[in-house]
Order: sequence, then C-alpha cells, then structure tokens
Amino acid sequence: MTNVPIVQVCYLRLGSRKVEESARFATDVLGLQRVGAIDGDVALRSDHLHHRICLTEGPPEQQSIGLELPDEAHIEPARAALLAAGFPVRDADANECRRRYVRQALITQDGSGNVIELVTRPAHSGRRYFPSRDAGITGLQGVGLRSTDLAKDLLFWTKLLDARISDRVGEITYLRIDDRHHRIALYPSSCKGIMEIALDVESFDCIMQSNYFLKERQLKILHGPGREAASDQVFIRFQGPEDCLFSYVFGMREPKAGERPRQFLLKPESLCAWGSECTDIPELSFPAT
Amino acid sequence: MIELKEISYVRFGTPDLQMAESFATSCLGLEVGDRSKKSLYLRSDDRAHTLCYTEGNPEEQAVGFEVDSEEDLEAAAATLEALGHPVHNGTPAECAARMVKAFIGFKDPTGNSIELVVRPARSGRKFFPTRDIGITGFSHIGLYTTNPVRDEKFWTQVCNARVSDRIGDISLMRITAIHHTLAMAPGTKPRIQHVNHQVASNDDVLRSFYFLSGRNVPIVFGPGRHPTSGARFLYFTGPDGMTFEYSVGVDEIEDEETHSPRSFGFEPSSICMWGSKRVGQGIPVPAAKQ
Repeated sequence: MTNVPIVQVCYLRLGSRKVEESARFATDVLGLQRVGAIDGDVALRSDHLHHRICLTEGPPEQQSIGLELPDEAHIEPARAALLAAGFPVRDADANECRRRYVRQALITQDGSGNVIELVTRPAHSGRRYFPSRDAGITGLQGVGLRSTDLAKDLLFWTKLLDARISDRVGEITYLRIDDRHHRIALYPSSCKGIMEIALDVESFDCIMQSNYFLKERQLKILHGPGREAASDQVFIRFQGPEDCLFSYVFGMREPKAGERPRQFLLKPESLCAWGSECTDIPELSFPAT
Repeated sequence: MIELKEISYVRFGTPDLQMAESFATSCLGLEVGDRSKKSLYLRSDDRAHTLCYTEGNPEEQAVGFEVDSEEDLEAAAATLEALGHPVHNGTPAECAARMVKAFIGFKDPTGNSIELVVRPARSGRKFFPTRDIGITGFSHIGLYTTNPVRDEKFWTQVCNARVSDRIGDISLMRITAIHHTLAMAPGTKPRIQHVNHQVASNDDVLRSFYFLSGRNVPIVFGPGRHPTSGARFLYFTGPDGMTFEYSVGVDEIEDEETHSPRSFGFEPSSICMWGSKRVGQGIPVPAAKQ
C-alpha cells in the first residue's frame, strides 16, 4: 500500500466570533488580499490560489487544514487507508465543497483531532495577487499544529499520508511533503489546534520591516526576529486575533537527498539560532537551563 | 593631493582602561593584541591593532589613515602646512606606540585629530575573536564636522576622498571602492561619532543584537538597514559613551568614473529602510514625523 500523496498545504479555515475584526487584521496588518466568498465567509489570498485563509463564523476552535491530493483517483485509496487505520472519514457535501472552492473533499482528523481536509482541484485565480500592504507575502509556507498524541499523529502523517520527518527539536517534529525542510510542524501540547500559520515573504528585509511595522502598532511579537536552527528559515512570530499566531518566514532550506532526521535538544537555541526566546507560547518555551 | 589608502586605526583616551578592555573583549569581541603600561591594543583583523585605548582623557581621540610611503608623508606634510594646518612629526616613541614606521599628526578643519601613517604593522598570527561574533575587520568611522561644506572640500580636494552619497548634510565618503570609509555628520565640536566593524553575515548582526541586549548594552539604533550603502547595521554604546557599529553587506562603488552621489532627504527612512528608530543620542537621525 502506498501512502496518500500530498501536493501542498492548500488552505486554512479558521472559525472566528468576530469575522470582520479578524478580516481587518488579515488585510491591514498581515497584508493579505480580501476576496469574495460565499455564505458569510471571508476569503484571503496570498498568492495565485483563490484563497489560502478562510474566516468562517464560529468558535475559534473550529479550524481545518486543506491538503491537496494530486487528483480524484486518490480519494478512494485515501478513504480506505484512513478507515482501515480507524480515523474518521466523511465526504464533504456539495455546499461544503463550494465554500472551500474545491471539486471534492474528504474530511478526516489527525491523531489529535485536528480536522484535515483532503481536497482535489482547488480553485486558482486568474487575477494576480495584489496585497493590501507591502508586506512582501509570496504565499503560505505552512502550518504548525498542536499535537496531543504524537504517536498517533505521526502514524497519520507519515504512515497514511506521505509526509516525512525532517528533524526534531525534543519531540517537536518537522514534516516535509515537498522540497522544503518542512510544511507541517507538530508541537506536543495539552490541546489540539493550529499553533502557527506561516506566510512566506520575499526577503529578509520584509521580515525586519514587518518587525518594526508590528512594533510601531504595538502588536505583540511573540518570537523573533530569529532564525530556526533546523530549517534555516528567518521568522517573526506575532499575535493575531483570537489567540491565533501568525508568522512571516523567509529562506527555508531544502534538505539534500538522503539527509536523515536530526535530533536537536529541547532548548531555546534549537528554535532560534540568533538567541531570541519565546516566553508566551507554552509549546515554544522551555525552562531555562 | 593626499592619497589616503586605507583607514588604519582609532585611538581613544579612557579614564578606565580596565572597563574598556572588559567591554572590548566581552561585548565587542575584539582580541587583545598587545598591551603596555598605559595602553591596550585591540585587533579586529590581520592587522596588529585597529583600536587602541590609552589611559587619559576620553576627549583625546585620533584616527589613522595609511599613505603609501614616507615621500608621500613628507608631501602631505608640506601640503597641510601650506594650507595652514600645523603638522606634528611622530617621534620614534610615538611611532612605536602606534605600531607604524612613520606618521604625522594634524587637525582637520573641524579640529578632529588625524594621523597619516606609513607601514602600519600586520600580525602573522590569525585574528581570533573573543566571542563568536563574525568580525571581519575595522572598516569605517563617523566624524563630526562643524561645517559640512568646508570639511567635505577638505576631504575631497586636499585628500582623495570621494562622496558616495549624502543624507541631508551627512556626507558618506570613500577612499577605496567600499561605499564609505568616512561618514561626516554635522556636530558642534570635533569628535569621533562612531566606529564601525564589519561582520560576516546578517546572522552575526542579529546574534549580536540578542547577545548585547542580554548583557544590557544600550542598543541605540537597529537592527536596521541603510538604504544608501545597503548595509545591515546595529549601533550600540561602549565605554565613555562611544557608539560602535556592526554592519554587513556594504556596497562597493564599481563605477568609480561615472558614479554620482545620490541625495537622500534627512528623514528616518533615509537612514533605515526597515523602520528602526534611534534611541537616545549617538547617531544623528531626524526625529520621526508625527
């Protein structure tokens, strides 16, 4: 049996009790482009896809991550593999597919209960991406997920889906699905949910410009500017609405063929090679040694 | 014309040599190359020293530039005397204290102490920094001027400096291909405004930012990026209130014949394209617009 191939992390759907407020943050601070969506959703673009983030009316816990499958032929094998391993699977109905701007979707959960949607043919936009501010966003880099059951999550991601382990910091596990060091990171935690949404920017300058942009607006920078030791990417992590953490990232490396997963110590310097420390996010804070 | 070849060293008086040494080695990352009873010689590259602290008044500061030969030195002395700048010929003891073959001392029109030196000593021993700072060498200084127009004329017409860019009345001048070796900023009295060391990468600048912040060294400006030279920078305060800078990625002027200086307005974005703001005194930056 072959693993279910993943083309890309396609979109994130985020529940929000204050959709308009979150949308304002997404455009005025993040710099994403707001595009039309249906049923009260707010869709936000960061690149050529119709949208990468969709805000929907609902509790913040109501989140899902869309992963693209190469084509429809992979739907049934994916369903069979997930069911055989005991993961819940259901088909998205026609309206759910419409709201997601995809042709077909299987809705499942990882080992921690994070909702994962396996989708086909996500909509692209004919218009080029036009940002709301000059943040230099070029796309969605990836997502950090909280894991309450790492073993079951690794089964889901690496045995059923075809993600591979790149490196580990303590038990924090970086997973890759393409040439990049990682697109998904699993952070051991006491609860499930999206820990971080990472947006790619075009240069190191953009990271630093946003650093001062955020500071001037008295927005809370949670970690960085820093450089992730395992992936080499420069990052700045900051607080979004409703406890959502966003980051701008740049310069992630592409592991060479045959690279084995490395183990880093669970220490601040393993998360930031420059020396920035994070004290406000339990998954990224460790007792001083 | 006086042909300046390279910037060689800075000399600072200090009332507390021990404090200066502690800062230079534990924060700045320089290596003690030599010491005498009243002086401390610090290395930043393959030269025998590029920074010297001598017990004394911190107002006593000097910057040394290398010229090619003793003939050039004599010619420079004659030029300067003719223009009315009294010239001091270095005694053998003074030459030994500077690790040079010969030198002359004079004041620029503002009154900054300038020394022209011949054959500054290199060291056969590899430079080994006291911390993992990535310093690649002493590179430039900022100098205050009481009359930017007059002093720019002195440095570009009596000496061989060329203006690379200007930010308001600040003049960035080069003597090699490197964007600037001398940054001249308006001030009220002669003084060295900052001392720059180059580091190898962005990472070094940011690592030092966290390193120095962790040791409560006042960060006065940055991390930032100059739109003029393209350099990523960090300014912080050292002994006796002196501002030090680390930077990386200073452009080189490749079209020496055709380069014409650009003018940037005297506003924050001309000094930092990332949006960092100066804290306290040290770097003359315009106040942020309200």
